[in-house]
Amino acid sequence: MTLRTLVIAGFCALVGLVWIIESGAADVFLEAARPDFQKIPLAIAGIENLGGTESPEGRVKLGSRIEEVLKTDVRRSLVFALVDVNGLGIKAGQLGAEPDPSFKHAVGNGVSVVVWGRAGIKSGNKDSDVNMDGYVYDAGNNEVVGGKRYVGSTSVVRLMAHRFADELVFRYTGEPGIARTKIAYVSELGSARELFIMDYDGYDPRQLTADGFLNLMPRWSPDRRFLVFTTYRNRNTQDIDLLELATGKRWTLVSQGGLNITPALSPDGNFLAYSSSSEGNAELYRMDTHTKAVQRLTTNAGGDLSPSWAPSGRELAFTSDRSGGPQVFLISADGSNVRRLTFEGDYNAAPAWSPRGNWIAYVCRTPRKEYKLCLITPDGQKRVQLTTGPGVDDSPSWSPDGRHIVFSSTADGKSHIYMINTDGKDLERITFTGTHNSAPTWSPAS
Amino acid sequence: MKTLVVTPLPVILGVLLLLSPACSRKAVQSGGDTRALQEEMARGGAKGGASSSFPDTSLSGKDETSSLRGFDRNPLEERLGGGGHNGNGTVTPGNTLMAKSDPGGAARQLAEIRAEQTASAAAGLRDVFFAYDSFSITDEGRHALANDAEWIKSNPQAQLKIEGHCDERGTSAYNLVLGEKRAKAVRNYLVELGVVPQHLSVVSYGKERPFCTEHGEHCYSMNRRGHLVVKVGK
Repeated sequence: MTLRTLVIAGFCALVGLVWIIESGAADVFLEAARPDFQKIPLAIAGIENLGGTESPEGRVKLGSRIEEVLKTDVRRSLVFALVDVNGLGIKAGQLGAEPDPSFKHAVGNGVSVVVWGRAGIKSGNKDSDVNMDGYVYDAGNNEVVGGKRYVGSTSVVRLMAHRFADELVFRYTGEPGIARTKIAYVSELGSARELFIMDYDGYDPRQLTADGFLNLMPRWSPDRRFLVFTTYRNRNTQDIDLLELATGKRWTLVSQGGLNITPALSPDGNFLAYSSSSEGNAELYRMDTHTKAVQRLTTNAGGDLSPSWAPSGRELAFTSDRSGGPQVFLISADGSNVRRLTFEGDYNAAPAWSPRGNWIAYVCRTPRKEYKLCLITPDGQKRVQLTTGPGVDDSPSWSPDGRHIVFSSTADGKSHIYMINTDGKDLERITFTGTHNSAPTWSPAS
Repeated sequence: MKTLVVTPLPVILGVLLLLSPACSRKAVQSGGDTRALQEEMARGGAKGGASSSFPDTSLSGKDETSSLRGFDRNPLEERLGGGGHNGNGTVTPGNTLMAKSDPGGAARQLAEIRAEQTASAAAGLRDVFFAYDSFSITDEGRHALANDAEWIKSNPQAQLKIEGHCDERGTSAYNLVLGEKRAKAVRNYLVELGVVPQHLSVVSYGKERPFCTEHGEHCYSMNRRGHLVVKVGK
């Protein structure tokens, strides 16, 4: 080893050390989990009922439904703390477009934002449109921020609440919010597994495929127009297909022998990473979606699969069993610089890189042989087990705001879809029908 | 360590700028795996992709501004949903359509699966069972495959499919890889026994087509299998 090499190696180690020390600082924490993160206290004074119910036979009034959905969205945003209006002295009904003088009481009670509105079918004719007016009062500035007016059929009542919630998040953070996002997933129909899509809160499930066999592991395109997934042609070979949500059209992107699994489009949509065993064992490949040129990224005797793009598009996390059991590795997008990320436990798989880039979620097998979710920083310095208890957890996928993870679990017996905050709080089951719901994948925000 | 952190930043940055190319080059060259990969790519790792053309999936050239419009003191009426694609990619109720499926495809699949089950049962083919996390063929498995190999040799017109299956533990994705390893282990042993490889194909179903759906070792051991099927149709 020459003197120059020694000097360089020593300096690289030094820079690495400084970097490690600095990465221990607070900014590697998830934003919502930061001790100094202050949620904005928000009170919903009420969404007044103007008439009409959600469905002809339904008893839930339209304003009440919108208020309920809005409250859930506001709570799940993790940007606001929902304040109970009871006892605040805020007038809750018969409100116009101007703030009620009683709202000033809210300031004294620590409320920063007051939301109110009205919704319903005005004419009493059940075929008429639903109207919603919503207003926002900023107690800090003692002014009405403004309002929104939505109109549409009874089928978009939940969407009215979701849009309003996202406008609130946008107003106070500049981020689009997650209330209008979707979750694509796989559900069992007979012995077949088909693709479905639902709202982020589990409502309005829609079946997308009816092939009668196996469609697996969907992933979104960054513009939310397409899903990529694995499908079995004639039950004997696997293809990777692209499905356009607005038209139902399908294209086959990869069609060859062997496994063709875990497709993932890059954050700019220009590349498709996937795993294929067409040349022997499962290896990672990268297809240029414009030229269709395919580049092989890995070459070794182990199985390489489940690529997940970093938000920068410059790196991927993936699963490899090259060192025995499956472990999470990182690789540059050109196939260089492969290094192992997980060392704790003998089974770590299904990595999902967070949209903010600072965490990778994955399935970790605990010493008690339970399959749970873990989080690790891309530098490997911090590791947290996120879920505990019985059941096999699988397929973690991040919300676009990086504050939640959706995943499948058999914790309640059958496989269902659950949501959890990235600080481990607010575990919620979001599917309640069907015999097997799996492989959830969260859409980008809009 | 304290002194490292308080070292004047300009000095660190300056030296970093001078030496960082050397650092990164060193990192790339250190991995044997990386070198093998670079050689592979130099030999022509790039190859032609799928032949069919497909739509542009990239974000470039599209309007990326949020569809949110902000609050207004005199808000304009916004009509939601039902109007098809709204130009900014928002999926709204009413514009998500079911993919066009082969009419009768599901019924045909079911009929073919039943025909395969009948043919496989008539042939008396025996399945191979695996230990947890394992794709090694046990003594019992070898015994079963000796029986299967004899049948294949005396029925040279038959095409056999070996399905690799896993129990519900572990991830869906990794179980597809494990299932393929199991199916290939079965195929390789049959070839060792003198079966012509052209009569055999492998497919992995991972944990997606279990034989038994209860939770527990009784069920798990039934699902960790290499399932031999007489192929019917394509």
